[in-house]
Amino acid sequence: MIVYAIRRTLSLIPLLFAVATITFFLMQAVQGGPFDTDKPISDAARANLEAKYGLDKPLIEQYVLYLKNLARGDLGVSFANDGTVTSIIQERMKKSGQLGTAAFLFATVFGLGLGTLSALKQNGIGDYAGVFIATVGAALPPFVLAPLVTILFALELGWFNVLSVNYSFVQWFQGDFSNWRQMVLPTVALGFLPMAFIARITRASMVEVLRQDYIRTARAKGLSEQMVVLRHGFKNALIPVLTVLGPIFADLLTGSLVIEQAFNIPGLGREFVTAVLIRDYGLIMGVTIFFAVVIALMNLSVDLLYGFADPRIRF
Amino acid sequence: MTNSRWRTLFAVLAVFAVMAIAVACGDDDDDEGAATAVPSGGTTAPAATTAGGSPAATTSSAPSGTITIRGTQFQSWDPHYANFAQDITHFFMVWRGAYEFDLESKPIPSMADGAPTVSSDGKTYTVKLKKDLKWSDGTPLTAKDFVAGVQRTCDFAVAGEYQYILTAIVGCDAAYDAKNKDKTAAEIDTLRKAVGVRAVDDTTVEYKLSDAQPTFPILLAMWPTFPVPTAKVKDIYAPAWPGPMENLYNGPFMPAKYSEKSSIELVPNPNWVGKQKAQVSKIVIRYIDDAAVSNNAYRAGELDATLANLAELDKLKTEFKFGATGAELYAYPATRTIGLEFNQKDSLMSNPDVRIALSRATDRKTLNEVVNKNANTPTTSWVPPARNGLKGGEYDSILGFDAAAAKASLAKAGFADGKDFPKLTMLLVDTAVNKDLGAFLQAEYKKHLNITLELEFVDSKTRSARFNSGEYQMVTGGWQEDYPDPENWFIGLWETNGSINKTATSIKALDDLVAGAKYNQNDEARRTAYRNAEKTLLTQASGIAPLWHTQATFLVKPYIKGMVESKRPGDTFTPGDWNPENWTTTKK
Repeated sequence: MIVYAIRRTLSLIPLLFAVATITFFLMQAVQGGPFDTDKPISDAARANLEAKYGLDKPLIEQYVLYLKNLARGDLGVSFANDGTVTSIIQERMKKSGQLGTAAFLFATVFGLGLGTLSALKQNGIGDYAGVFIATVGAALPPFVLAPLVTILFALELGWFNVLSVNYSFVQWFQGDFSNWRQMVLPTVALGFLPMAFIARITRASMVEVLRQDYIRTARAKGLSEQMVVLRHGFKNALIPVLTVLGPIFADLLTGSLVIEQAFNIPGLGREFVTAVLIRDYGLIMGVTIFFAVVIALMNLSVDLLYGFADPRIRF
Repeated sequence: MTNSRWRTLFAVLAVFAVMAIAVACGDDDDDEGAATAVPSGGTTAPAATTAGGSPAATTSSAPSGTITIRGTQFQSWDPHYANFAQDITHFFMVWRGAYEFDLESKPIPSMADGAPTVSSDGKTYTVKLKKDLKWSDGTPLTAKDFVAGVQRTCDFAVAGEYQYILTAIVGCDAAYDAKNKDKTAAEIDTLRKAVGVRAVDDTTVEYKLSDAQPTFPILLAMWPTFPVPTAKVKDIYAPAWPGPMENLYNGPFMPAKYSEKSSIELVPNPNWVGKQKAQVSKIVIRYIDDAAVSNNAYRAGELDATLANLAELDKLKTEFKFGATGAELYAYPATRTIGLEFNQKDSLMSNPDVRIALSRATDRKTLNEVVNKNANTPTTSWVPPARNGLKGGEYDSILGFDAAAAKASLAKAGFADGKDFPKLTMLLVDTAVNKDLGAFLQAEYKKHLNITLELEFVDSKTRSARFNSGEYQMVTGGWQEDYPDPENWFIGLWETNGSINKTATSIKALDDLVAGAKYNQNDEARRTAYRNAEKTLLTQASGIAPLWHTQATFLVKPYIKGMVESKRPGDTFTPGDWNPENWTTTKK
């Protein structure tokens, strides 16, 4: 398995090269550059700006230079921010990473719980309630859910804040929970859709597992229902769920434009979309490469976890 | 699966979870971590000491209270490089030039000790600074710092887009263009030294102009001429510029805490020498991009002032008692004009009768009601009344809505009843408002001219790129004033081969009027010349057919005073944001 992991990790190198190359040339092919603004600028100003950021060089030279810097771990500078791309990604990931991790934990815990509960009470009230919540979750995309929960819980009831600029769990570890009113709504709004998805997969998987012969055997042996469900049912039902957890985690971890915009959280998702809109070449390249690494590593993690979850899988 | 395998699985999952949390958390040094940071050598407390010899403050009470407003993250903290409105809003809170603007947008002394002395030929301005000026950390602020400010703005390596307003200074253009002309290092050094600004002594700055520009004192109140803390910035030509927490300030406030993309907190600068001292102990600017979010935060009491969300203006007018006693919603004219811009390199758009037909077929009043929800002021003028000294409506008889006149103009152009009218495409930025605007114009032109307008929606950068390169027939666009004078509405924009003339406008009479006005020392004659230039521009809708002057629309809590009272047409983010020292709050 170690050899497999090393092989997969090494395969990231050509992948990143391809991502960097495609992104670089696609980005340059799009009309409009970073210095095309509503207010026109003089030719002298444009020339000076292009020289300042190295955009006056031939495209191929810019590309080779970018790859050289990338090989050294230098992602360049942002045109629209005072800072390097690396530092910007680090800063934004502090927010997006915390939000994504919290939403992932919310989605996983409630999704698994809801799905298991529905499967155990199949065609009962609990099942209908679980399926209803999962369906509602799937039907409510974040751009609908976010303003809805803001109006209801922040403006009408006043339980939570509208702005979540201080979204951070770090202070919680220091015993300071003063920002709790900023934490709940973004977490739920981001985690609700994946929760519904996980609940539906868990329910389907659990229903199937509970019909297997070995479950009947376990019951026939006289094992308690708790033991049957948790040890023999839940563990085996987890395998298909694992398949989706990796991509879901990667998706949540890399930021959400809608949620970050709706709750004013300065995360990476919002930054990335803004970078594309304003043609911040350095940031577009850096974030795309970062996303590619995260997604590739998450997929690798899931593949490795299969080996643990299913003994039949060999690397 | 065996128990040991499950244990391993959960161990691996736990490791990933810990890694993810570690990545997510890191050293979270934004809001929380920065709480104790203060500007280098500065202090967050409004100390009692002031710069020696500074004029006495008119307000002696200690600053109190916090005002939290909505803002937009600045793109650059460098006043000699930045060109975005949100950047400039920040600058006026923490820095000031030799002069600043009063509420009538007239330059008055700030760091200067009186009006400038002007030579008889109008080409040399000498500014005497107040004695014993200090930066926020107590470092002396001298004439050398003001010299460095101009030198920076005029330099190619800094690449500031607002260099264009300093072209009257001797050698400024040459220094700015040095790199493009492939000059050697020695030649560049010579050009830098030749920029016409020098420190006569510690409190005297001399500016040499190539031509006698009567509006030059206005420019001495603008951010490109703000001083540089040379004790801190050793290489003034280096593009790098200290960030908010590392810089020094000479304005009424200074940063005490900063979290990028989140917020900045400003506290009074103890060494501010302005007549009006800061009256609040803290201003918090929260960076919020979405107006709907900021309006909800205002409703929830998380903000004291914000830009109004125009998409729900009707609702806001009722909710916040617009125009009634206790109103929290304010709207006032801004110095921004939007209109239909025509590319006169295009054969169809080069026909003045076609341009006039399109202008006269547009019912601006209905457009403002239907598309803009009455958020703006319909107009046919290019220069807003605040700047051209007119009442407005002077060009209604030439460009205003008149279906019959529009039809006649189109017939005169050779397209009677729209017959054989070539393809006309309008380029628009893809926004909800522009979709309504496009649909409105399509309907108007079909109804009144029997022609089909095609719409092409693109993103903002594509629109700007195509506008700049002349790849368009018609767009919506206009101008936001940079400095308060009518010349800012003409120079570079409408003269033949003007540096930012993107509509291929070329009218000799207009060129002559602008050239004559530019260095005219008689203020009334100068203003009259610009009024005539406007008339020349609009008589044939050359380049633009104005549609509306933008209004600034804000929400301000009733316990905030000094904001609306200090408003100026140029305010973009908060009323009175160029004079935050006037703000007060009674909120406990």
